[in-house]
Amino acid sequence: MKVIHDAVSIMTPFLLAAAGGLLTELSGTLTIALEGFMLIGAFSGVVFAHIIGSTSAGIIAGALASMIFALLYGGITYYLKANIFIAGLAANLLASGLTAMLSFSFFGTKGVIHFSDVEGLRAFHVPLLGEYSFMVYISWAVLLLIWFILNKTPLGMRIRGTGFDSETIRSIGLKPELYRLLSVLIAGFTCGLAGSMLSLSVSSFVPDMTAGRGWIALVVIYLGNRTIAGVLAASFVFGLSISLSNYAQGIVTIPSDFILAFPYILTVSAMIIYSIWQGRKKGVKE
Amino acid sequence: METKPLSGRIVTVGVSLLSVVAFILLFSKTPFDAVRYFFTGPFLNRYFLGNMINSSVPLIFTGLGISIAFKASLFNLGGEGQIYAGAVTAVAVCLAFPGMNGFAGITAALVAGGITAGLLAMISGLLKVKWNVDSMISSFLLSGAVLHVVDYLITGPLDDPSSSLLATSPINSQYFLSFLMLPSKLNTGLFLGLLFSAGTAFLVYTTLWGYEMRISGYSRSFAGYGGIKVSRYVITPFFISGFLHGLGGGVAVLGTYHMAIKGFTAGAGWGGIAVALLADNNPLLVVPAALFLAYLKAGANTAMQYTDVTMEIAVVAQAVVYFLVTSEIMYTIFRRKRKEP
Repeated sequence: MKVIHDAVSIMTPFLLAAAGGLLTELSGTLTIALEGFMLIGAFSGVVFAHIIGSTSAGIIAGALASMIFALLYGGITYYLKANIFIAGLAANLLASGLTAMLSFSFFGTKGVIHFSDVEGLRAFHVPLLGEYSFMVYISWAVLLLIWFILNKTPLGMRIRGTGFDSETIRSIGLKPELYRLLSVLIAGFTCGLAGSMLSLSVSSFVPDMTAGRGWIALVVIYLGNRTIAGVLAASFVFGLSISLSNYAQGIVTIPSDFILAFPYILTVSAMIIYSIWQGRKKGVKE
Repeated sequence: METKPLSGRIVTVGVSLLSVVAFILLFSKTPFDAVRYFFTGPFLNRYFLGNMINSSVPLIFTGLGISIAFKASLFNLGGEGQIYAGAVTAVAVCLAFPGMNGFAGITAALVAGGITAGLLAMISGLLKVKWNVDSMISSFLLSGAVLHVVDYLITGPLDDPSSSLLATSPINSQYFLSFLMLPSKLNTGLFLGLLFSAGTAFLVYTTLWGYEMRISGYSRSFAGYGGIKVSRYVITPFFISGFLHGLGGGVAVLGTYHMAIKGFTAGAGWGGIAVALLADNNPLLVVPAALFLAYLKAGANTAMQYTDVTMEIAVVAQAVVYFLVTSEIMYTIFRRKRKEP
């Protein structure tokens, strides 16, 4: 049971980032900047929680900061027409450099900053579900909200329409750039939540603490077959395998570097299996 | 990757330098000193100048590696892992065979480093051809795993227990590339960089292989229709791209560090992408583009030594290059100007 409980906590940042990233994928321009959005969220979340003196305010600030950063990325990508992959790399690099610079200017270090006055994330017990950090419940609410936007609102239809055929959207007088920008802003919001969850759960900021999670979220989107339910299932599988490997660490000693390498190896293997499966499916259809 | 006018790239370079100035003004308490050290620092003395030129050498190799992948319309995001793997392989060869003569040892170490990194990159090409696995993401993820494995090798089996550094034992001195401009670290690795720049240009622009690769990069279906075996131009460009990255790692070890230190090549892989973009994937322009990026880094370093800014300012400037170099804003500005008269 402990393994499953941990899996649900571990999967939450992946789930949030992938849910936002899914919108950008459906709008036809998958962003690889999720990692950078999360890092900005992680830094702003814990720093504003320290300044304002409230963990909840920190989470909101983290989400807002990440949205502003997403606006910068989206503006450059969709309105100045930069190559989306290069702009995504730029956003990731900028997030890494900017957080290091800000942390050096304001806290005098580029290393780990711990805020002893910042209260960690509170856990709540819910009957039948168990005891989880309240961010876990928020992530489920966000997931439902995104499902609702995508399937039940005109906005969701237009986002998907943009991904399906942006010229048709343009021909009926709507602006594809706007819907792409909106989906990136939502991704900024969810990644900001994911990032602030990472930093606030330890009341610290660690340089580059997102550690590839934004990239793994991209793979989660594909493995989830580009649907909300699929993203949920794929995140759980990831959470479970990482939780199992942590559990195994307690039984046999594995060098810590291998534990750090494990999520990457798992992700690549999952991608290969997914691609083979997709190839088979296409083969049958033809 | 389409070609953008040169004027746009010159303005990109200018704007990235301006962004450095803006950040210094925002964050520094002594902004004038910081700006002065940033711009003039690399030319203050032989030591700084030599080290600046030397730090462009790994960027030349990674820039060439990325250029050749871009020419084939492939995204190799695994540069960080590939250069690191190449470096540690080169060290391992030197440590395993401590008694070879200098030339044979250097050649063996560099070739082994290149091949290791080349094979690592080639996996992404093979996966793409065989199962249509997205090579951009697979190369990044494989490199992420390899970075940790190399960390393990450097701090575990290859660690030098007599030193407190997280590093391997030093290699024997007959394997060192000769220094050119003491007391700086500049070494003959620079000539290797220039040689490979010319060699890559020759391969891409004058051989049938290069021609077919460029056609495949331009349009795979067109190339396939014309009878070109397209899968060849996915797998081999990835191998060559990785090989060049690994070579860069090997040259950094034999020329500059003489051992592998944990995380010592970090950033050179990402830097290679900025170099390739600035050079518009032209192997000959890679050399000046690498020098510009090395100048950014060296300027940030001297500004950090003498004032209160951190060297991450160079990373931010590099991000500005990424943002602007493919965007149409420069192009639009110049087009408008031309229309006016």
